[in-house]
Amino acid sequence: MEKIFPLNLTAQAAKVVPGNPVTTRLESGVGNCFPGLEYDHRNLDRRFFPGLVFEFGDVTGAPLVRVDTNDPDLDPATFEGLPADAPKPAVQTALRTALNGDPGKALRQGSWVLASITQGSRTITVTDQPGLTVWRLVRSLDPGPVDIVLTRDAGTPKKISLSGWRRRFVSTKTGVISGAFQPGELTQSLCSPWMHDFRDCACTYWASNHPDIVLAEQVPGADPDPVWEETPIDWLRSDRALARTAAAVGTEAGNRPAQMDHYEINERWQDLSIVLAGHEVSNVFSARQAESANPFASPDELAQKLADLCELEHAVALEYLYAMYSVKDPAVAKGQALKEAVAFVRHEILIIAVSEMRHLRWANQLIWELEQHAGLTTPGKKFGPSLGIAAQVPGAKGPRKPDLRVLDKDTLDDFIAVEKPSGTLDGAYAQVLATLRDPRYPPPLEQLAARILADGMEHFTRFREIQRVLAPFAAGNPPAYLQTLVKADAKSGKAAFDLYQSIVADLRSAYALGDMEDAASIARARATMFELKAEADKLASAGMGVPYF
Amino acid sequence: MTQLVTLEGQARPAAPPAPWRLIAGERPLVFVVDGSRLFGVEPEFFAALQEERPEAQQELLGAVVEESRQRDFAAGLPEPAAISLNIAQSCNLACTYCYADEGRFGGAPQFMPLEVALQAIDRLVEGARGRRVTVGFIGGEPFLNREVLYGSVEHARERARAHGCTVGFSVTTNGTLLNADDVRLLRERGFAVSVSLDGGAALNDRHRRARNGASGFEAALAGLRPLLENPGKARVAARATIARDDLCVAERVEALAAAGFIEIGVSPLRTGPDASLVLRDADWPRLLEEMMRAAEQEWRRVRAGAGFRFSNLATAMKQLHTGSAKPLPCGSAANYVSVSAQGGYFTCHRTIDDRRFSLGTVDEGLSGWRRESFLQERHVDRQEPCRTCWARYLCGGGCHAEVLSAGRSGCDYIRGWLEYCLRFYDRVLRERPGLLGVEVV
Repeated sequence: MEKIFPLNLTAQAAKVVPGNPVTTRLESGVGNCFPGLEYDHRNLDRRFFPGLVFEFGDVTGAPLVRVDTNDPDLDPATFEGLPADAPKPAVQTALRTALNGDPGKALRQGSWVLASITQGSRTITVTDQPGLTVWRLVRSLDPGPVDIVLTRDAGTPKKISLSGWRRRFVSTKTGVISGAFQPGELTQSLCSPWMHDFRDCACTYWASNHPDIVLAEQVPGADPDPVWEETPIDWLRSDRALARTAAAVGTEAGNRPAQMDHYEINERWQDLSIVLAGHEVSNVFSARQAESANPFASPDELAQKLADLCELEHAVALEYLYAMYSVKDPAVAKGQALKEAVAFVRHEILIIAVSEMRHLRWANQLIWELEQHAGLTTPGKKFGPSLGIAAQVPGAKGPRKPDLRVLDKDTLDDFIAVEKPSGTLDGAYAQVLATLRDPRYPPPLEQLAARILADGMEHFTRFREIQRVLAPFAAGNPPAYLQTLVKADAKSGKAAFDLYQSIVADLRSAYALGDMEDAASIARARATMFELKAEADKLASAGMGVPYF
Repeated sequence: MTQLVTLEGQARPAAPPAPWRLIAGERPLVFVVDGSRLFGVEPEFFAALQEERPEAQQELLGAVVEESRQRDFAAGLPEPAAISLNIAQSCNLACTYCYADEGRFGGAPQFMPLEVALQAIDRLVEGARGRRVTVGFIGGEPFLNREVLYGSVEHARERARAHGCTVGFSVTTNGTLLNADDVRLLRERGFAVSVSLDGGAALNDRHRRARNGASGFEAALAGLRPLLENPGKARVAARATIARDDLCVAERVEALAAAGFIEIGVSPLRTGPDASLVLRDADWPRLLEEMMRAAEQEWRRVRAGAGFRFSNLATAMKQLHTGSAKPLPCGSAANYVSVSAQGGYFTCHRTIDDRRFSLGTVDEGLSGWRRESFLQERHVDRQEPCRTCWARYLCGGGCHAEVLSAGRSGCDYIRGWLEYCLRFYDRVLRERPGLLGVEVV
């Protein structure tokens, strides 16, 4: 007799049921974060038709790989007590007889492929479809009657038709996966951690805890080299010496020779690093700047700092937007290489500028949350919305006044200095983040600040990349990638300036309402941004930039 | 729990919460606190557990204890899907024990204007984002503000239709003012009607009388009779308050069943304006006896093939069967909030106009921050003495409003009742599993 037996539903659910491995549980699966990585879904469908096993891969069509007459779906006992799920006894008997008889014998010889599937009144021919398309079609079958046709090129017969049913992969009564699936079958094509098939993953779809490209280890206490900090390296590299670590190249084939081979992974799997926040960690994790920054003393001080940061975000967003127009329009740039370079650079700067605008919105949201929502700041003191322009911004040679400039070397150096990890912006948000960790602040605020901080790191990388891409065209005065751009005078720039002012006014009224924001103002500001872009394009074609300030 | 002090004067760490409760009986039971999981165990093994033999405890641990998962249960709280509208903070009865100060809520009578009700309904439907919503009407006596009740029902139906969600209605009433139109409304709109009645005429009228002294029982039944005879889509339940001057339960259930109710629940009086009626420490063991006597009366009916009607027992069976494990006693401030006549949001109908429980206003909206902090503070794992009680996830720590005004009392009564219910559940599982929706194999 069993000693301990579950009575109520939660007790029954907690009992480990034979058939479902523990890894299929949500709490134990990587599927927590990446649904689908618990098993390869195709492995369910390869047994969609009882008694047969297909393969859905890179080849055309779905080849039959095996006839399995031990399939429990062919056994009448499997469906006892499950009237709703049961195939008609006559259909089951006929299929079992066929697979144990001549058709089954024929199916074991030669190369058979799935030719067509019929369900209800619809028949789909799948012979010439790519394997993954056939899988997709099989995937959409409902549980219930299905007829299939298999064909082969040589031998007699060339064609076999079978009537059966789309398997129920999981029992509707117990939740147990069908016994047709053998141990390991559902996970067989996954790149399981710490196993040598890590090298052979064909889908290049890693979860975050088994990455292919990582950032190098951060040495605690050392002043981080920002370039090294942002250089992607190959996680599987065979030579683990820090001094000899090189940046990963852009192709899988390029990195291959430097990676551990299959058996090396088996032997040295413990050398593969844990990855935290993108960085390898080989020792005890040690907090860096974001974790160790000094918090602000009071909600008032925090709100004031955020208001200042808003002005800074605003100033640099405008500097970036202005500079973008100084880069040649790809349509007029001469030579394919330059065309591609300027198209890339303009696109990247625009992305960074838009991201700064988003930060402006988030930082204002933080202020609103502190001030209006949680009511943490001193009543009567007003910190937001903050949409002014900072009087000073960080630069490569120290603080400077914000300026609308073309994207020459000095400007680019200044932009990189603003976004540098551990630089002014990054450092200030680290302090904001450290402050918001205090439990008196609502938790979502901390998450918002963390997102801004993470974005800043990306801006730095993007500007570094811009610098690299422009380097071949940097000679000459002006460099070949630049076009003439002077700040438009009050008259020529009036239309654009007025549009910009109206955007700011709309944002101000929307941000004043925080997350209850006034959708009409936001929509209007967005629409005006398109008008501003058209106006800025017009000015740029005449060699002028928008006089934002 | 008293904190023990060692010789060195250092505070000892508090005892870890017990992972399970052993329940002796015909079939020995182990109730595992985490996940409210109930196991039957073989008698010899049970004896070993009672003797605290380490190998038996280890074996049980291995079989039933899972690593508990820390959940930040109040973060990212969705908007509530249920509200109650206090449309009339006034009552035509003057029940002696009423928590709402004989229906006045400690102030002058107030009626909710229609626009407040509609605004609260709009916010509810929008916030629910397609989930089913429930609009409750409460008072005082809600039918004193009939116009707002009717207007709210139609508005809620219309808003729900526009947002593609369904809406359910409930009302808590003394039943004395119902007219034919009201009965039609309750039937057609499928109201969950909760009627406050304490038992038969004599028991009920001891505390529930009109201001002129007339029988509350007769007046209620006069209004309710057509609904009880033909409830339509409505569900009509009686809820009896037990004051300390008569702790009987079975007789109340019997009398209310005879009056036509098919669902009857009881609730002990823990707070109220008249302290002589509030249950005291010595009353709880007696009440437990009475509850078990009523449950045994219910068992005789149920075993003969009838359904449950004693809702305290029926609800307990449902919760034990599904393994309900809740860190809070009720949905207040989480899935449910209450709206005062003037449009203030409060954690529930018991805390109306008490500033400590305020959650914002229908003009400005519900404060997510206040709801979260209210709930975070009240997690049963953070309450004493609940933190170490085996029944904490079944009980949830007791009514927020009552705990604040009267502290926690009657915990042994709650544990006793829950232990009795666990045994009762096992009985139902073996002899009437169909009542739990369990197929008999």
